[in-house]
Amino acid sequence: MHTSPAKLLILIALSLVILVEGRTVLAFFGINIPPLETALIGLVIIATLIIWAIRPLRGSPTKSE
Amino acid sequence: MTALFVDEYPAEARLVKAAFLSSFIAFGIGALFGIIQALHRTDIFRFIDSIKYYTVLTGHGVFLVIAFTIFFLVGLYQWAVTDSLERGPVDIRFTWFWYGLMAIGSFLAAISILAGFLEQPPMVLGAELRANVLFTFYAPLEANPLYYIGLALFLVGTWLAGIDWFRTWWAWRDENPGKRIPLRTFMVLTTMIMFFLGSIGVIVSILVFILPWSLEITESLNPLLTRTLFWFFGHMIVYFWLLPAYLLWYSVLPKLSGGRLFSDPLARVVFILFVLLSTPVGIHHQYMDPGIAEGFKFIAMTNTMFLLLPSFLTAFTVVASMEHGARQRGGEGRFNWLRALPWRNPAFTGMALAGLIFAFGGFTGIVNAGMNINYLVHNALWIPGHIHAQVGTATALTLMAGSYWLVPQLTGNRLVGRQVALVQVVLWFVGIVFMTNSMFRAGLVGVPRRTAEPQYQGFDYDVGVGSMGELNAQLALGGTLLFISAMLFLVLMLLTVFNNDSEPLVDGTLPPALSGPEDSPQVLDNLRLWFGIAFVLVVLAYALPLAGIVAQSGLFGQDIPPFPVSSEAVIYLEFGLEYVGAFVT
Repeated sequence: MHTSPAKLLILIALSLVILVEGRTVLAFFGINIPPLETALIGLVIIATLIIWAIRPLRGSPTKSE
Repeated sequence: MTALFVDEYPAEARLVKAAFLSSFIAFGIGALFGIIQALHRTDIFRFIDSIKYYTVLTGHGVFLVIAFTIFFLVGLYQWAVTDSLERGPVDIRFTWFWYGLMAIGSFLAAISILAGFLEQPPMVLGAELRANVLFTFYAPLEANPLYYIGLALFLVGTWLAGIDWFRTWWAWRDENPGKRIPLRTFMVLTTMIMFFLGSIGVIVSILVFILPWSLEITESLNPLLTRTLFWFFGHMIVYFWLLPAYLLWYSVLPKLSGGRLFSDPLARVVFILFVLLSTPVGIHHQYMDPGIAEGFKFIAMTNTMFLLLPSFLTAFTVVASMEHGARQRGGEGRFNWLRALPWRNPAFTGMALAGLIFAFGGFTGIVNAGMNINYLVHNALWIPGHIHAQVGTATALTLMAGSYWLVPQLTGNRLVGRQVALVQVVLWFVGIVFMTNSMFRAGLVGVPRRTAEPQYQGFDYDVGVGSMGELNAQLALGGTLLFISAMLFLVLMLLTVFNNDSEPLVDGTLPPALSGPEDSPQVLDNLRLWFGIAFVLVVLAYALPLAGIVAQSGLFGQDIPPFPVSSEAVIYLEFGLEYVGAFVT
């Protein structure tokens, strides 16, 4: 794994927080992202993070924190 | 493994456990009321009558921001004083006496509130048993006298707790002449000086005006005077909620990070600044109140802005301590050290995430403190958003995270479900962001607070971004995540208490600061001096506004009878308004 399950959990949580607050900030600049698209972006981010995290490290055994 | 607190101080550990138990019971009830509100006012799921919403709202406020936080505070501070002075109280019977007073006071206030759910509440002390007056109990809204008696007993118990800790320190000082006050005890004593000074307002308000009025000993009162006396106390109490979290951030978080506190003197300065600045700012909660001159409000605003200083100092010191810890653990680079922090530890992660949310709460607090923009958000959902970020997360999440570190030391039992605990604190973090984001946005478009029915017939809010439905869904989702997280915490605590065939995996020793008290002048420990300056500042901030309020309407007002808050009376009032409305149109 590229990171530990604990760090992956924190990364997912931070991504969701940045998504929710970032969407509000973007709205101040006239960029409106509908709720469904926001949810889809969130799912893509979570999936990407999980795939990155569980991908085995090249040439070294899996080691957690 | 060092000796556990429960092994070294078994009598004190029993008291701390009793205080935490009271705190967690209040937390459970308050959290239940929270989810009821979140689902009710968003109209997603309703199973109580909207009139009962105000009983729920009162309970949510009182159980969480009075009972949960302050019971935890007295437990934590008893631990801090005992552990840092390495001695118990002068007389443990006195310690149990003040805890007993607080418990009886909470019980009386609690049954007064919960009786509001009964169809026909019993008559007690000549009045119907009810207390639908919200946490602020603004007169002329009137509760049963039992509610005010309960609050008074609770406050007296808290005062006696402070006196008990001062007695313990005086005894320690006699045994250790010339020594600096240990940091944790310094934090406890300065917090209590702040509380002694700031709670005078609410004690006078209850004992001199509201309680005699509710017992019909006096016929009238001055609502603006009692409101002002409440807010004399009301902003200080915010820091009373927050300073236990500060104590954990300054003393435990650096150790959990793997390092040491960056600066002991800076921590002392921060607590002194709260003694000086937390009380003379209460009028900033009353920008919308007529009867207080704008000049006094402007002075309160200026004083409030100074309060940013201790918050910024804390942000610097705590983050510097975390960075030091991370580098001790092998962390390198400008930001890469963050990866070396112990994110698997729920106690660390909970406190770190609570600190992050504290920034949201702090910046939205600047909006509240500004006289002009306060008018925009004052009676709107923005304010509950702010308070949920501050006491609802900076404090509550830190106290939960601190429990994961402290409760095993108090019980001698291993924490059950460490990984679940990590999920619990992260769930709280995500839940609070969902909920407060929707509250801030809804508040900016004028959605009101303190109401079961924020939607009006024939009127749509100009939401600007998204829709009201989306904001409501986000609020309910956040509230649900918070409720699940709260229940997970309580279950883990319960399982830990009964996990008595295990050994805790926790080291209770706290390392000394990188820059210790010897690097600071002795004057920082002169508590009489700081109390004296704080007293003068309070007199300067409040003497003229209070004199003006009394001069306008008298000490006891002019024929201000109670406003009925029983459910029957509200129904009659509603019927009357509808009748008048139909007659006019």
